[in-house]
Amino acid sequence: MISRLHFPELPRLVKLGRIFGRMVLGLLFVLAGATKAFDPGAFAVEIQRYHLIPWIPGALSSVYLPWLEILAGALLFVKRFEQGALLLVTCLLFVFTFALASATFRGLGIDCGCFGKVFTATGTVVPLIRNILLLAFTGFLWLGYP
Amino acid sequence: MGPTVRQASLILLAALVPASLTAAFHPRRPVWSQETLAPGEEMLPTVLAWGANALWVDARTADEYETEHVPGAISLNLENWDQLFPKFLDAWTREKKVVVYCSAATCELSREVAERLRKSGISSVYVLKGGWEAWKNRK
Repeated sequence: MISRLHFPELPRLVKLGRIFGRMVLGLLFVLAGATKAFDPGAFAVEIQRYHLIPWIPGALSSVYLPWLEILAGALLFVKRFEQGALLLVTCLLFVFTFALASATFRGLGIDCGCFGKVFTATGTVVPLIRNILLLAFTGFLWLGYP
Repeated sequence: MGPTVRQASLILLAALVPASLTAAFHPRRPVWSQETLAPGEEMLPTVLAWGANALWVDARTADEYETEHVPGAISLNLENWDQLFPKFLDAWTREKKVVVYCSAATCELSREVAERLRKSGISSVYVLKGGWEAWKNRK
């Protein structure tokens, strides 16, 4: 009520912010998935470097996760699937953030591998901070649903 | 089951289709039987992809190093650590990934040198899986 009194345009701006946010998040996921889907063998090695799961589950993840990222990212643009896609994007971000935090605290000195071979020498700290910010952002997007 | 979970389940299932095709036909699909890497170990193709960002360290004896070594590699072994470490520091920069190798996969010298480098405050130190043999047998 107070916000409507002082900023009558605020609800519209928030709505536009959510649409823009979904687009940015969707594009990020499609890009991240596409770069990894291009070379799943290299992504399997990136997963291995985290030393969280054995080789075979990591290799299976290397062929599945990129496509899940692409689909979830793309379907953030499709009204009928956007909530389900946002749920998956949020879950994936939680998993990636956990992996990055774990690698950072264990001092593994590895690269994120989040965008395949497109961005290298990223370390894990900057991607970890980016993921935490993205997670906070998904919270903002979730507030837009009943 | 709520609509959100139902949508998510459908997406999870849909991703299985391209993932299966990738696993079966992608020219760069992962090798399913690949040996695992120990912590701090790295495979030759990955190191080669680092190009000039890799600083090669030869942990074998001085004689072996003199006979043959990876082009650009610096000799650094535990026997002559005090004389060789300053030379290593001259070549090292913080951005470089240090790759230590010894004669073969069974050799422990590279692990020992890598460990000492890490204790000396050098970051991004890796051991080449397969060592010099892997380098010699590269395609």
